[in-house]
Amino acid sequence: MISFGRRGRHDVAPSSASPGAPAVRVQDLRKTYGSFAAVDGISFDVARGEVFGFLGPNGSGKTTTIRMLTGSIAPTSGTIEVLGVDAARQPQLIKPRIGYMSQKFSLFEDLTVAENLRFYSGVYDLTGEEFTRQREYILDMAGLRGRENELTANLSTGWKQRLALGTATMHSPELLFLDEPTSGVDPVARHQFWDLLYELSGRGVTLFVTTHYMEEATNCSRLAFMYAGRVIADGSPREIRAAHAVAGRTPSLEDIFIDLVAGQRNPG
Amino acid sequence: MNGKRLRLLIWKEFLQLRRDPLFLRLAMAMPIIQLVLFGYVVAADVTNLKTAVIDLDRTPASRTIAASFAASDYFNIVARPDGEDALRPLLDRNEIALAIVIPAGTQASLERGEVAGIGIVVDGSDSSTASVGTSYASRVIAGYNALPDAGPGAKASVRVVFNQSLRTVNTMIPGLIATIMMISVLAIMSQAVVKERERGTLEQMFTTPISRGEYLVGKVVPYMVLSGVQALFVATIGTLWFRVPFYGSVWVVLTGLLLFMLTNVGMGLLISLVSRTRQQAQQMMMFVMLPTMILSGFIFPIESMPDAIKPFTAAIPMTHALVVMRGAFVKGAGFDALATPLLALAGFAVAIFGLAVVLMRRRLSE
Repeated sequence: MISFGRRGRHDVAPSSASPGAPAVRVQDLRKTYGSFAAVDGISFDVARGEVFGFLGPNGSGKTTTIRMLTGSIAPTSGTIEVLGVDAARQPQLIKPRIGYMSQKFSLFEDLTVAENLRFYSGVYDLTGEEFTRQREYILDMAGLRGRENELTANLSTGWKQRLALGTATMHSPELLFLDEPTSGVDPVARHQFWDLLYELSGRGVTLFVTTHYMEEATNCSRLAFMYAGRVIADGSPREIRAAHAVAGRTPSLEDIFIDLVAGQRNPG
Repeated sequence: MNGKRLRLLIWKEFLQLRRDPLFLRLAMAMPIIQLVLFGYVVAADVTNLKTAVIDLDRTPASRTIAASFAASDYFNIVARPDGEDALRPLLDRNEIALAIVIPAGTQASLERGEVAGIGIVVDGSDSSTASVGTSYASRVIAGYNALPDAGPGAKASVRVVFNQSLRTVNTMIPGLIATIMMISVLAIMSQAVVKERERGTLEQMFTTPISRGEYLVGKVVPYMVLSGVQALFVATIGTLWFRVPFYGSVWVVLTGLLLFMLTNVGMGLLISLVSRTRQQAQQMMMFVMLPTMILSGFIFPIESMPDAIKPFTAAIPMTHALVVMRGAFVKGAGFDALATPLLALAGFAVAIFGLAVVLMRRRLSE
């Protein structure tokens, strides 16, 4: 399934994907652990350049879906196309082209800022010139200039998070997965973080974001709502609200999702 | 397998090791503390020594002497070869720890009222067994002399083969090399893998072009290097300070250690697979270490264990590693004499390391 001899990014034929392919195309995707279906037959598309919000309560299957999309785990059945490549069959082809940042701060805490940058730059096989440029950019963006030799364990959450975003994007990915990137962060830092995300989006990077926060959901151009392994609603925030308008009143996204979950729990 | 990414992973692992405040002190202190503990004598009781009796006299007197050894709890007569030529192979293969040689003409000498020497040949490579065995044997012969129809003539003359000085340290240090290697690889590596999973850095790395194979090699190599350095340190202190002789072949030692290391790498990976937290990994490690220390013959001679327990000692990889290390250091035993323990180690290495790699790769892609 996953070969020991994986090839580097320069061995890859330049974008074997058709340029018009969507960033993500998922059909009948399923992942089961024993008799438990973590992801139970979902289908959706994410267009290039979109800010795609992937919502749902804990345990609804969001993280499992992302891990399949990034090629970290193999699906039980169904097809996944990421940037025009079959993610289940050729995860090694998509990895150099995507970025991933998780809810946990997942840089090496016992390495310094500079060492973390150097590690990931090497992993993504950046040239010396690219590395220098990205390093300067990230240090400025994260506000870490002068703190290069500090252990990342000693940084506070907002800095850690911006550094993690920097490392996740230092190889200029076409598609960035963010798994609850702002959980546990104060509203001001969250706001700053979304400014950085918009900047990335403005440069044409497709963003795939999971979140708990409904005010963040409204930042997205399109949403899918997951519950118990299934997608129970999707569309733009406006479409979703319009579809659930009752007697001329458009409820908030939060109300809609609470109603949807309640409906799933007590059918009929 | 991409060389650049491997180098990065290994570089990163060493950086992390250096930053671990406890680790460096532990890695340095552990060999020293253990050298002091085990270098300065650990003694144990000895019973049921595997013994060969060579009766060259074949007289009623010689049979009585042999019978008094057979009657003792300390000796278990497992072979009765015809001549002394057969002793060396038996000792080399660890089939006996001690031999009683009753020379031709013993009865005749005793009847003439002369002193008759009874040869006691001991394997000094397990020095505690050897020294205790010798004194027991002398006691048995003294007991024979006290019999009513025997004179005071029989006299034990002891010949020690291998490790003539009977220094415990000569058997402890070669064993210690294997022990420290086991602790380093097993304990420290399983901690490192679990830590990576706990913190989420593992998940992060697998979204990058790093492959499972690269990750595994990048993880294992630093700890193999580390335990190699520690083994070299213990061996150096052992030969220079404790003056442990080295009669064997370096290749035998390296082969044995490499196989034993692979076994432990496999065990370490298996531990990290079943442990969710570092604390659990620690407990699992104790679960593995305790029977290993007790049953492998590192501290307590296997000869003196109850018969019901003995078969289990063969199921412990370290048992075989100790036979190889002690055999090579003290007896100068080569590949042919140590074929059995080396094959056993190879079996463990293939089975445990192979299983670990297969399960690890499956787990990492679930």
